[in-house]
Amino acid sequence: MMTASLLNTLASPIAMLAPEAGGGHAGGNASAHLEHLVSHVGHGPKWVLLIPFLPFLAFVLNALYAAFGVKSKLPAWTTVALLAVAFATALNMFLNFDGTPYTVQAFEWFNLHYGDKHFVANFSFYVDKLTILWMLFVTGLATLIALYASEYMSHDIGTGYNRFFAAFSLFVVSMSCLVMGDNLIMLYLGWEGVGLCSYLLIGYFYKKPSAVAAAKKAFIVNRIGDLGLALGVYLTFVHFGTVQYSELFQNAQLHHYIDMAAGGDFSHIPGTAQWIALLLMVGAFGKSAQFPLYVWLPDAMEGPTPVSALIHAATMVTAGVYLIARMYPLFLVSEHALPIVAWIGTITALLAATIGMAQFDIKRIMAYSTVSQLGYMFAGLGLLTTTGAAFHVLTHAFFKALLFLACGAVMHGFAGQLDLRKLSGVAWMKGWGIVGVTMLVGCMNLAGLPYITSGFYSKDMILAEAFITPGYAAIGWILVFTAILTAYYTFRVYFRVFVGPQHAEPGDDHHGDDDHGHGHDDHGHDHHGHGFHPHAPGWAINTVLVILACASMLAISLAYIQKEESHGWVGSMVAQSTASFHSPYAEAAHHAHVEHTEMHAVAGPVGTATPGTVFGMDAHQGMILVSGIGAIFGVLLAAYLHGPKGWQGLFLGGREHADKCRMDAIAKRAGPLPKWAENKWYVDEFYHMVLVLPLRIISHIFHWVDKLLIDGLVNVFGFLPRVFAWIIRPSQSGVLQGYAVSMAGGLVVILFVVLIIVTRAGGAS
Amino acid sequence: MIESLTLAQLAYPEPMSASVLAPYLFVSTAMFAIGLVGFLTRKNMIIMFLCTELMFQAAGLALIAFGRHHLGADGQTFVIFVLCVAAAEAAMALALVVLLFRHRESLSASAWKELNG
Amino acid sequence: MSPESLMLLSLIFVPVIVAVLIGFARNEKRAYHAALACSILLCIPAVRLLAAFDFKQGATAQFEHSVSWVAGLGLEFSIGTDAVSFLLILLTVLLGPIVVLASKTAIKTDRKMYYAWLTVLQGAMVGVFAAQDLLLFYICFEFTLLPMFILIRKYGSTNRIAASTKFFLYTFTGSMMTLAGLVYVVWFVAQDGQLGRWTLDIAVLTHYAGNMSMTEQGWVLAAMLAGFAVKVPLFPVHTWLPLAHTEAPTAGSVILAGVLLKLGTYGFYRFAIPLAPEAFFEYAPAIAVLSIIGIIYAGLICWVQDDIKKLVAYSSVSHLGFCILGLAALNVTGLSGSILYMLSHGFSTGGLFLMIGFMYERYHTRDMNTVGGLASKMPVWATFMVFFAMASVGLPGLNGFPSELLCLISAFQSDAAWNAAGEPGAWGASLGPWFAVFAGTGMVIAAMYLLYMVGKICFGPYREPADYHPHDELPTDLSLREIATLTPLAIGCILFGLQPTLLLDAVSEPVNNTVRLVERANGIESSSAPNLYESVNDHAEDHGEEHNDHGGASHD
Repeated sequence: MMTASLLNTLASPIAMLAPEAGGGHAGGNASAHLEHLVSHVGHGPKWVLLIPFLPFLAFVLNALYAAFGVKSKLPAWTTVALLAVAFATALNMFLNFDGTPYTVQAFEWFNLHYGDKHFVANFSFYVDKLTILWMLFVTGLATLIALYASEYMSHDIGTGYNRFFAAFSLFVVSMSCLVMGDNLIMLYLGWEGVGLCSYLLIGYFYKKPSAVAAAKKAFIVNRIGDLGLALGVYLTFVHFGTVQYSELFQNAQLHHYIDMAAGGDFSHIPGTAQWIALLLMVGAFGKSAQFPLYVWLPDAMEGPTPVSALIHAATMVTAGVYLIARMYPLFLVSEHALPIVAWIGTITALLAATIGMAQFDIKRIMAYSTVSQLGYMFAGLGLLTTTGAAFHVLTHAFFKALLFLACGAVMHGFAGQLDLRKLSGVAWMKGWGIVGVTMLVGCMNLAGLPYITSGFYSKDMILAEAFITPGYAAIGWILVFTAILTAYYTFRVYFRVFVGPQHAEPGDDHHGDDDHGHGHDDHGHDHHGHGFHPHAPGWAINTVLVILACASMLAISLAYIQKEESHGWVGSMVAQSTASFHSPYAEAAHHAHVEHTEMHAVAGPVGTATPGTVFGMDAHQGMILVSGIGAIFGVLLAAYLHGPKGWQGLFLGGREHADKCRMDAIAKRAGPLPKWAENKWYVDEFYHMVLVLPLRIISHIFHWVDKLLIDGLVNVFGFLPRVFAWIIRPSQSGVLQGYAVSMAGGLVVILFVVLIIVTRAGGAS
Repeated sequence: MIESLTLAQLAYPEPMSASVLAPYLFVSTAMFAIGLVGFLTRKNMIIMFLCTELMFQAAGLALIAFGRHHLGADGQTFVIFVLCVAAAEAAMALALVVLLFRHRESLSASAWKELNG
Repeated sequence: MSPESLMLLSLIFVPVIVAVLIGFARNEKRAYHAALACSILLCIPAVRLLAAFDFKQGATAQFEHSVSWVAGLGLEFSIGTDAVSFLLILLTVLLGPIVVLASKTAIKTDRKMYYAWLTVLQGAMVGVFAAQDLLLFYICFEFTLLPMFILIRKYGSTNRIAASTKFFLYTFTGSMMTLAGLVYVVWFVAQDGQLGRWTLDIAVLTHYAGNMSMTEQGWVLAAMLAGFAVKVPLFPVHTWLPLAHTEAPTAGSVILAGVLLKLGTYGFYRFAIPLAPEAFFEYAPAIAVLSIIGIIYAGLICWVQDDIKKLVAYSSVSHLGFCILGLAALNVTGLSGSILYMLSHGFSTGGLFLMIGFMYERYHTRDMNTVGGLASKMPVWATFMVFFAMASVGLPGLNGFPSELLCLISAFQSDAAWNAAGEPGAWGASLGPWFAVFAGTGMVIAAMYLLYMVGKICFGPYREPADYHPHDELPTDLSLREIATLTPLAIGCILFGLQPTLLLDAVSEPVNNTVRLVERANGIESSSAPNLYESVNDHAEDHGEEHNDHGGASHD
């Protein structure tokens, strides 16, 4: 009941456009725009196939290295080299792209004809600007992180190293299938493929029960989402008769639906068409760790840090955003899908931020911040700004990878220590300067410090949209509040770990499982004495950190390149893909903002829409003010509560030891709340009690039912003849004359019967 | 219609009447009953065997009588078969009885009840 | 007699003759080599037949040959194959060398008998698929029981006596009822109103059986279900399978999973659907419900098993639920998916049984609490294990996925109400979205139990039984022979996963034929539903125009 009433209060943003936008004008354009985009899908050059093929080659080679027991850094260099070429190919694809989407077929996969219909899903790739956008950062980051991992994983040179890079390259293959596939079945292949690689890599330290459990959890929770995705895909086929993008987006039926939706009329769109988006959405929630399926992502930090950076922060978890962006036309025709996406994203952002505030494991803080930032992206999608979501995906990919890799460097150097209470002043230690600086860049971006960081601009794009779209201001305020929390917990890490008095306790080395125990000795770690020397990062790690820090900062410019067209470079990329949708409010606001007179060809009915405002200001400007002040407030709060004394704590902090700060006293007085937050609001326990345990009990019951009832029934049937025999058994006396008597008796009976029959027959005739 | 007559019809052109048949059947029934009662009540295996022979012959007598009554040769043919079988059976049965006697030193049928359920 | 028919015949009789020779040979040790040579040599005619088979005419029986026996009663001995049965024959022949290879070190006592029965079983299974008349079919169908019974009875593990007895009696009882149903069909066709003479020719019987009344068809269907559903096995008549699988020797489990269970689904496809098309159409939802209960119920049971072999055995029950669901959907997608499942299921599940067998030879236990964490000791083994588990989970790109996908889509499409509403799809029985949703949960459950298994047996800290000592003949990790056994299955998994179209094309003719038969029998025009979509569409168009006009007016 609650959901029903909730749903009724959630009107789709697209529907709300209709009345004020003055009829179906916007809608007509919406479908026309889509038709225009996909009407000329041509055949592309075959070299595009190199992008999935080169990582696949790397996978095969690494598997061979594993089979032949190579014990060197060969797998790392193979992977880095081949991924770099794949990145170059993606770059080439970008530079040579003329705006017309094209497909490239590798080979035929599914082709089932029946009657006048067919089910076709080939192993082929679809390239438009959304694909290119995603592939650029996926291959680019994969190359950089492989380089980083070549050093990070060097404890495990040998079997583990080969295994790591094999799974790593297989991940890139799957990711390119996911992003580049020209049909939903290919997307599903990549979707499950990245899930598999994620499983293998989270469970990389397979002797650790916690890692195995985390891997299993990730796969199974994802599978729940995948079920939604699969059903959505099948329903798409059943409803529209195709799963190929080029055919699907040209489908006349779909265009009708879009026009109706833009006219605010959802009642004539069949339920099945509306269900598709809801089902796909479940898949996206699973893969992108949204409430209520987010629980696997923090646990996934059991994997090696490069994996956390690439798969669980930058690329794989954005697959959900990609899915919704790619299938945006289908989401537009569903009455409830986009509002749900927006609200779920908002709830996730807030929830994860509150948990992140109370964690002490720096990698877990980053994990929760990933969940939280993914929430922002989903909110962006739900608020009709695919551009904002895509831009945030892009900037987040850079700065979150950077943050994870910096944390990974700390973890690597301090023998697996991740507790922020046991580390302090790391940036001042010898050889750690680069890590300190790059970490600061990452934190600034995540916190969204105004004007100077790319994270600020991408977040602003989403926040402003919440205020622009009527009826969604609540989301806007929640997200602003979350932004303050984000700034706080981000800089909490920085003020605790990287500045202040130098102090370090080593952890119980992660890599020290039996196979690779030499890790300890090689580096002369002494875990328990004062003689502990952190193992400063080498050139590979430092290079990658610097490149990523530069990329994070330079990403600001992406908001300004081609600014005149729409929302910058990312906007122009998204605009020329199926993800593009032009909210008339956004257009109007944009106009008011830049006072641009020439309309974009596909824009909505500008002038009729009234954009929402913030404090009477234009939403974008208002947001820059509000979220900028919020971010600075969050940083100052972190400095006051966690910062060290002196300038390092911005003259606000008072921390003198690694494990004591002002927050402790506040936390003590705050009652059970911090404890609850630290225990993740007991969501895992709740799931265990409500879902896992009952299911487990049911399974046991089924097992016993099967054993006793169903098989028991079978045994009863088998037993019946035995019982019958047991009953008639005494009749076999074994005495000869006994048998003779029964024979004689039987004879008499038979004769008697015959006699009766004969006389009766005689009587009758 | 001479061709269609059977051998028995040629030998005994007149069928035996029902009143003549009755005494034969009476004797046959009596023999069978005596044999049956003997078989059921006596324990001596040789006696029991003789009783079965008695029942056999009772049946044979009935067959012949009916054969004559219906002017068919079937009854006589069967009796000849029965006699052959009975002869062979007598040899077998007596051999068996001797064998069983050697095992238990007794001719009682109740000495053998291995097949009880 | 054409050379092709002779080759087909040789696939049935050569194993039988070789088995007799093995059985009466003096040398115990040569038995393995003789059986191996025989099974490998049989691949030659199989490949030649593959080259000669015309898949364009896949619906008609090829390589036909028949010998009349008792002409008056229509008894004859006739062989031939259509595309579906031909592919199943290929699968049977391919599994031959694999199961023999896998038995080399596992079987140590009375090898002569073992290999003789194993070889006979090969011939009998080919016979089932190659039969074109009921007599040969039924003889071979029942004859597969005996070798399997002996393999379990004599070479199984601790509880083998109970397992073999239950296996034999359960399936035999079922197939007796099937016989009754088949005999009724034969009698019906021999009536004056129908063909008017006795025949056992399956094609002829199929042609006339549709004339039976609904009641008759219902009873015939019930009789056939009694046998075939037990064989598949369908919930709730599945309980013999976990027991038989668990107790059977590895080779027995592989054959059971790979081919013997498919005799049931093949029976559905070849007899239950064509001989009772209207009744099957009528009762398809009920059958589908049973299959879905099986998917979920057996899957959950897998999740709480400690015995790894029992886990995989129950997973077969769960997986074959998809197969039956596809058949019950009664449309092209469903039948194609189902046949694909028949062919591909044996690769992943057979692979898992082999993996378990190889582990069992080394550790002599199947209890996952006693043995586990084998990835550190046996990395190659663990790699194959994860691979086959993933294939079984239904990972796209491997064999389970295409068939699961088609079966689920077919359940969506197979909804009369849906199609009447005019949305694109295909006709079929009245299943619907809910069937697909519930069956789809099987995907999640499969991930749950298989990852539970992999997590316990491959990962985590290494555990071994207290009395563990290294095997005399086998290395710690897999030997080359064992890898050679697994490789064809692994290649098969990938091939089925990436090139399903080859098989879909191959079976497209017979599948379309069957669907047409069912549609004709139930008075459905063609596989494309009448397009009532137009009306909805018109309405939408009106609506759109209205708005456009309105918009235009305001613009002015």
